[in-house]
Amino acid sequence: MRTTPRLLFGLILGLIIGLLYGWIIRPIEYVDTAPASLREDHRADYVLMIAEAYAVEQELELARVRLASLGPQPPINFVIAAIDYGVIANFSQNDLQTLNLLAVDLRSMPASAEIDLP
Amino acid sequence: MTRARIFLTLAGFILGLAAGLVYSWILSPVEYTDTAPASLRQDFKEDYLSLVASAYVASGDLNRARSRLALLGISASPEALSRLAQSRLAAGRPESEARSLAQLAAVLGERPSALIGTASPTPPVNPAATSPTATISPSPTIRPSATPSPTPGAPFALLSQEAICDSDLSEALIQVLIRDSAGEGIPGVQVLVVWNEGQDRFYTGLKPELGAGYADFTMEVETIYSLQLSGGESPVTGLTSQECISPSGEPYPGSWLLIFQQPSAP
Repeated sequence: MRTTPRLLFGLILGLIIGLLYGWIIRPIEYVDTAPASLREDHRADYVLMIAEAYAVEQELELARVRLASLGPQPPINFVIAAIDYGVIANFSQNDLQTLNLLAVDLRSMPASAEIDLP
Repeated sequence: MTRARIFLTLAGFILGLAAGLVYSWILSPVEYTDTAPASLRQDFKEDYLSLVASAYVASGDLNRARSRLALLGISASPEALSRLAQSRLAAGRPESEARSLAQLAAVLGERPSALIGTASPTPPVNPAATSPTATISPSPTIRPSATPSPTPGAPFALLSQEAICDSDLSEALIQVLIRDSAGEGIPGVQVLVVWNEGQDRFYTGLKPELGAGYADFTMEVETIYSLQLSGGESPVTGLTSQECISPSGEPYPGSWLLIFQQPSAP
């Protein structure tokens, strides 16, 4: 009868300490993250940089490859999300136009089967 | 009896600890979904740097470029950008990336800022207020660049070609200076060097401490080189290191200095 409470007590104590250690004292550190994990504002700025570069380079495939580093979704989705964020965060009209230009051109391009990640 | 209690408690503790670690490290680890650019993997940081440069060339907004570099939390010195430009060029990345990096390196070398390398807690978005709008014109908006850039269509003309004997130079160099019609150095101009066994490309502006329009190439002794600019008229041929004599009478390899300039607009 007294075996179970002792075992249970140790189990709960160990569990609490294990969770404390794993979540707070020494959580897994992500030091080598990918652009896909960027916070929304950084991600929107990342997309804006891609759009700014595209405005000059006019290389749509290169822009698509760059956008692919943000995740497996269609590249146009990242640009639309950045425009949405830009409207909320009061991006300048120039920035919104730059993003919009990329969105328009991506829409007009036939979807390719695969995009090679950089 | 006491020993058994201690054993049971300890066994439970170890089991619980193991379960806690398995849960917190494997089953439900802390997820970093809202990371900053500073946590990016090194290759993604290089992509980010390259994008900062391309965006800078597009917008001409140096303050924004500096804010973005600061977010990376690394030293983005002109030298580091120059190295990155060379390595990306060697890796077969688009030439436009190397050109952009060279232009950013040049302008950062001209105007250093204390902001570089210090993380900023604010996102680098332009806080300039614009009214939210649902109708956005699809027309591109290219803003003026802060760095000199070649006048479209105007070829570079060879202004002077001079053999140099400079004992301070440790190697035989082909030094190139490229200027616009006003005499300002132009970064990001591609220079092609060809010799019997191969060829190489490099860009002006990768050594901003020597000027935005400066580039050099190390010659091998007894090899004959031809040099041509992207946007240049005709190649400069027959470049080879000539022997120079130091004041102490010792021979050393000589260099060349080529100055190109865009002609003034009529």
